[in-house]
Amino acid sequence: MKKIICLVLVLMLSVSCKDDDTLETTSIDISFANTINSQNIELSTGVYQTTLGESYSINELKYIISNISFIKEDGGIFTYPVEDSYFLIDEEVPSSKIITLENIPVANYSKIKFGIGVDQSNYPLNGVDNFVPTAEESQMLWSWSAGYIFFKIEGDYSPSGNQPDEGFLFHIGSHGTNLDNYKTVELSSNFGFNFTENTLVYINADIPKLFNAVYDIRIEDKSDIQVDPVNAPKIAENASQLFSSIPQNKR
Amino acid sequence: MSKLILCMVLILCLACSGDETNYVEISENKILDFPQPDFFPQPVYNLEENPPTEKGFELGKKLFYDGKLSSTGVISCGFCHVQEFSFTHHTHEVSHGVDGALGTRNAQPLMNLAYLEEFSWDGAAQHLDAFSIIPITTDTEMNETVSNVINKLKSDEVYNELFAEAFNNGEVNTQNMFRALSQFMVMMVSADTKYDKVLEGNSVFSEEESAGQSLFEAKCASCHEGILFTDQSYRNNGLSIDLRYNDIGRERVTGLEEDKYKFKVPTLRNIMVSLPYMHDGRFQSLKEVLDHYDSGVESTQNLDPSLQQEISLGISLTEIEKNQLISFLKTLTDDNFLLDRRFSEF
Repeated sequence: MKKIICLVLVLMLSVSCKDDDTLETTSIDISFANTINSQNIELSTGVYQTTLGESYSINELKYIISNISFIKEDGGIFTYPVEDSYFLIDEEVPSSKIITLENIPVANYSKIKFGIGVDQSNYPLNGVDNFVPTAEESQMLWSWSAGYIFFKIEGDYSPSGNQPDEGFLFHIGSHGTNLDNYKTVELSSNFGFNFTENTLVYINADIPKLFNAVYDIRIEDKSDIQVDPVNAPKIAENASQLFSSIPQNKR
Repeated sequence: MSKLILCMVLILCLACSGDETNYVEISENKILDFPQPDFFPQPVYNLEENPPTEKGFELGKKLFYDGKLSSTGVISCGFCHVQEFSFTHHTHEVSHGVDGALGTRNAQPLMNLAYLEEFSWDGAAQHLDAFSIIPITTDTEMNETVSNVINKLKSDEVYNELFAEAFNNGEVNTQNMFRALSQFMVMMVSADTKYDKVLEGNSVFSEEESAGQSLFEAKCASCHEGILFTDQSYRNNGLSIDLRYNDIGRERVTGLEEDKYKFKVPTLRNIMVSLPYMHDGRFQSLKEVLDHYDSGVESTQNLDPSLQQEISLGISLTEIEKNQLISFLKTLTDDNFLLDRRFSEF
């Protein structure tokens, strides 16, 4: 009798402490590939053409990804903890292009949503201040404006399509409270993001679209675009159109 | 038998009680009363999100006066923001940074920051918690990186303890550092001047001060508006362009031509002690400032419409009127704030 009571109680003990929500979670990796004509970018050496006939090379390509969330078919949203959601993608640093997200509820998601840059609407709350050191080390901070550079590309170009030999740089961020260049990207997929264990999601950034996705950009017209209320929003808009998802693999 | 069951039930109860019972409060960290003056607007700063606490304030004060925040280890926030001069860099036209480097702008006073919507002469910081990035990283100011500052603080035992006491997560990180600095700075409320006492009915203006007040309300208060003595807008007040700096002002933040040469309308509280004046500290006395408005205004790009009268520029003032205005402005000095030990370095 005693033994049975003991056994029952021990069983109860072991059951009673289990979490109520038995939701299974997984970690996933998201891999960002910056490509031109489906090829990896050759920094500094590769020479590429815009649709307006200019040629360009890229020395530096960086952008901030933030506010990642996943949307299910039924509209249910899983928002990744905002304070852990800031990532710097740097073309030159391979490890920066794979970001790992932990504790994602296992489900079949139809959309992934993220921001390019930092959402100024509640800046600098949501732990974004803790991203300052990372951004600073990569020169993604405008120190004089206490703000982040959201998207940065630097390189050389040639208006006539020859060997690029003139510098260009686009540094895109928000202009104080005057102009918000933060953009969100939503990628859907008819195959779904079925997150099971160790899912790897591929996201491709088709870099030439930076010059023509929505607005045609002739680099010669303005080869230095920083706090530029006319041109910066155009680059930001184009940048938000770069991304597409590729069917994910299981590792 | 029944004892055994009782025993097991007790174990059951304990088993699920979680970690709370093991948590020992290290020390009480009291939330400070924010000294909201009756006649001030509601604070802009979100005091619920980052309530000033005893330990947070103490940490913020230590950070404020610590040269560790600079690359050379000797330039603290307090170096350019000196309390008895309403936290400005007294007598320095533009502020000095590491190794004697000269900046391009005059350090602004620190007080009533909880009521400001944007910070810096051009509004480059939209939030007090982000403001400190500017002086820390500017090469002519503290010339340091935020990452380095955090590393220095992490390797300091005293700071580790202070951060642990001040914040729930106890981490030495950027957010907590900025929040501690903000906690120290938002508590700097200055509202105990003769002007305030007159408002409260506890004092009266002299004839001269009273005349100055009338003039002020007629000729100055459209920009230096309300209880904070600023409408927080950006305006070009007709200063000649100093080619050494060619400071474009607000345009640097917005990129808009229409914002060129515009600077934040500064508060006038404690104005007697916060000389020199203007964004580049070009005027050493209020007399010079009033002379500028009377006869020195130049028609530079985007000159504020309020300074363009029918045929003349500026605000015409007689010498008598200037003296009356200065007498009124003297009533805006808050000695208790300037000497408040809570904010003092030593």
